[in-house]
Amino acid sequence: MTKHDKAGAFSPKIGNVPNRARPRQADAYNSRGARLRDGVREWWPYYLMLAPGLIYFGLFHYLPIWEARLAFEDLRIIGPNVWVGTKHFAQLFASPTFFEVLKNTLIISAMKVAFVFPLPIILSLLLNEVRSGRFRRGVQSVIYLPHFLSWVVIAGIFIAALSPSNGVVNDLRDFVGLDRRSFMTDSGSIRWVLVWSEAWRSAGWDSLLYFAAIMAIDPALYEAAEMDGASRWQKMRHITLPGIVPTIATLFILHVGLFLNAGFDQVFNLSNDAIRDKIDIIDTYVYRLGITGGQFSLATAAGLFKGVIGMILMIGAHTLSKRLTGKGVW
Amino acid sequence: MKDLTISRRALLAGLAATPALAMLPGRAMAASGTIRIVMKDLLTSNPEDVAHVARIEEALAARGHDIKIEIIDLPSEGYAEKLNLMLLSGDVPDIIYFQGGDEQIAQQGVLMDLNPLIAKTEHLSKALWPHNTARLGNYPHLLYVYPARTKAPVMRKDLLEATGLSAPTSLEEWDALLRAIPGTEIGGKAVKHGIIAPNNTAELDAIFDPAFGIEQTWMKNADGELIHSRISEGERAKLAWYASLFADGVLDPEFITSNWEVKEDKFYTGQVGVVMGTAGPVVGIYEAKMAQVNPGAELVLLTPPAGIQAVDVSKESRGFAIPVTTKKTDAIMAFFDFVASPEGQMMERLGFEGEHYTREGDTLTATDKLGAWYPRFIYANPNYHQPPLSPLSPLAQSALQQGVDFFRADNTFVWSPELAAAVDGAETYYRTNVFRFVSGELSTENDWDAFVAGWLAAGGQAMTDHARTVM
Repeated sequence: MTKHDKAGAFSPKIGNVPNRARPRQADAYNSRGARLRDGVREWWPYYLMLAPGLIYFGLFHYLPIWEARLAFEDLRIIGPNVWVGTKHFAQLFASPTFFEVLKNTLIISAMKVAFVFPLPIILSLLLNEVRSGRFRRGVQSVIYLPHFLSWVVIAGIFIAALSPSNGVVNDLRDFVGLDRRSFMTDSGSIRWVLVWSEAWRSAGWDSLLYFAAIMAIDPALYEAAEMDGASRWQKMRHITLPGIVPTIATLFILHVGLFLNAGFDQVFNLSNDAIRDKIDIIDTYVYRLGITGGQFSLATAAGLFKGVIGMILMIGAHTLSKRLTGKGVW
Repeated sequence: MKDLTISRRALLAGLAATPALAMLPGRAMAASGTIRIVMKDLLTSNPEDVAHVARIEEALAARGHDIKIEIIDLPSEGYAEKLNLMLLSGDVPDIIYFQGGDEQIAQQGVLMDLNPLIAKTEHLSKALWPHNTARLGNYPHLLYVYPARTKAPVMRKDLLEATGLSAPTSLEEWDALLRAIPGTEIGGKAVKHGIIAPNNTAELDAIFDPAFGIEQTWMKNADGELIHSRISEGERAKLAWYASLFADGVLDPEFITSNWEVKEDKFYTGQVGVVMGTAGPVVGIYEAKMAQVNPGAELVLLTPPAGIQAVDVSKESRGFAIPVTTKKTDAIMAFFDFVASPEGQMMERLGFEGEHYTREGDTLTATDKLGAWYPRFIYANPNYHQPPLSPLSPLAQSALQQGVDFFRADNTFVWSPELAAAVDGAETYYRTNVFRFVSGELSTENDWDAFVAGWLAAGGQAMTDHARTVM
């Protein structure tokens, strides 16, 4: 018996599973409030540990949702805001620019999901096959490094490297007989610059999660496969990859939830007038119109629209994942 | 009884005179209180700012005003956004320096009409520049007593001489000079490009617009209809000329990805020949840095081919505002009036005696540090007051004078918030397509009509419809 066990309990608690089978009076047992109170009383140290996280999310993630009502109001510095209904949404949807911006956001996000999302998976699978631990650790250290650089620095590196006059990429193109190309001002290239700069920055760091998932796979499975004569390719395909599917599914759903976050810092730093119409995304539009232009209500309407679409996409991805793999985020 | 009659007369005369006295300029009653001011680059962490404000307080005290000035620190980086967020949180200082974003606040009736307050001042009203008066007439909420931020083109004197050409005065001569610069050697090194403008063509437009008939933002087309200059025939001809400069490597092909720092670096290191700088102190900085990087190098001020771009007088683009919530209006105006006065301008323009300049009898001599000093609040019109010593070099003063000589008011106006998305859409469309015309991706011969249609669809039509109703 522990100090949490109460007199009269006829079903002993096993491990740290709460004892739900204690006899109670019917009305008290059926009361949700009473059950919660009993639960808190019984597990208060855990609730105490949970409290800072709950308070943080409540204060900084849920409470601000209430302020999204600004999308339906005209802002007033002095006095209460004025309720204007869907005026700002109508203004937003009447602007052809908004749909261009939405299209750009969807295209860039889709390109990143298609080309950047698989990279850390491939990288972790390849790293797992490296036999020399020293070499693997060296490679990991190098590929993690870009993650710690800010987009301001990365933009400087890419602008210099892709310079048509003296950038290393164009020097190489020149060397192999190709024409010099202004990637940073070419409307056909700039989205690929976003994709590959994102890949360069995040692939190494993101591979850490998959690599950790690979490490958690039972070594006995590999030993059994080896005894059955499986090749390295077959082990990767039939043991490693299925072993990290839950991690892939979870991260994919989270990625889809953030689908419309096409990367403000990245676009802001890599943008220029020549290609703005190709990479202007919702976040930069909201920043330009709202924060810089002082149109806070209009910008909040755009932000709220983005949030609702993101929520729908995440629930859709979760449902789809549940059906296909049996795994989801909840 | 007689005494009583006299005293009644005296009383009536006194009562009648009181409002009249109050309306007289200057000699305002002593003001008091603590003024909270938020301003870009005015920080308590800068000892010069603190000392400058302290001596203004002392000078005000000597005039009978018990005024304290409290500096509200706000980071210079992203100032406009941070200021907006500060005001939104309900913290509204007594003097607010805006660098954009003021219109939305003014439209809520939060900012005072400054015209009646300025009219009562002794010095400030006379220290205004002509563009200040015009802007305050159109938009009475911002005060920014500084020279108009016109652009002035400059180049190295030895480079101009090396081309064998004289300073250009017409568009043809400008074209010839710009094309002669690439390949011309100075200091044993060939200059790569004739001209550069950072990030977009705005600085080129500032000196070449009038040469293509673009006199104002809104102009009449051949049918007599009001149109935006961005879809005019003048704009088309101008973009065709820019495109030819770009194609021949005269206009730096990387101008679009070059910010102002890159522009200056290319200028100082002899990669480009001509740059445009803000008339006044900025031109002085170019001159000083050029001489620092290339000892002995001098700059010459060039004359735009047909004057400079019309100056936007719809409103000040930056400046000081006073919120209606303040209870310190008298103290604020006493502060501004003092800073605009000859005594205040000596402090504002010349810095600290003994540090930024020295005095021997009536003769003032600048020290090396004067170049690093800058006026914080007001730079009075020289027609009202000119300090005996100017921190500006003759070249920088000539650049300022060029702006004054070519000054012409634009006919643009402040947009209503309902058109914010349309204005943003049209501007984004214009800026993107301008580069495509300049780089040769689009042709002014074949793609112009599509561009005009696209600009109108992106928000230009809404802007034009509005302009036709208000102009």
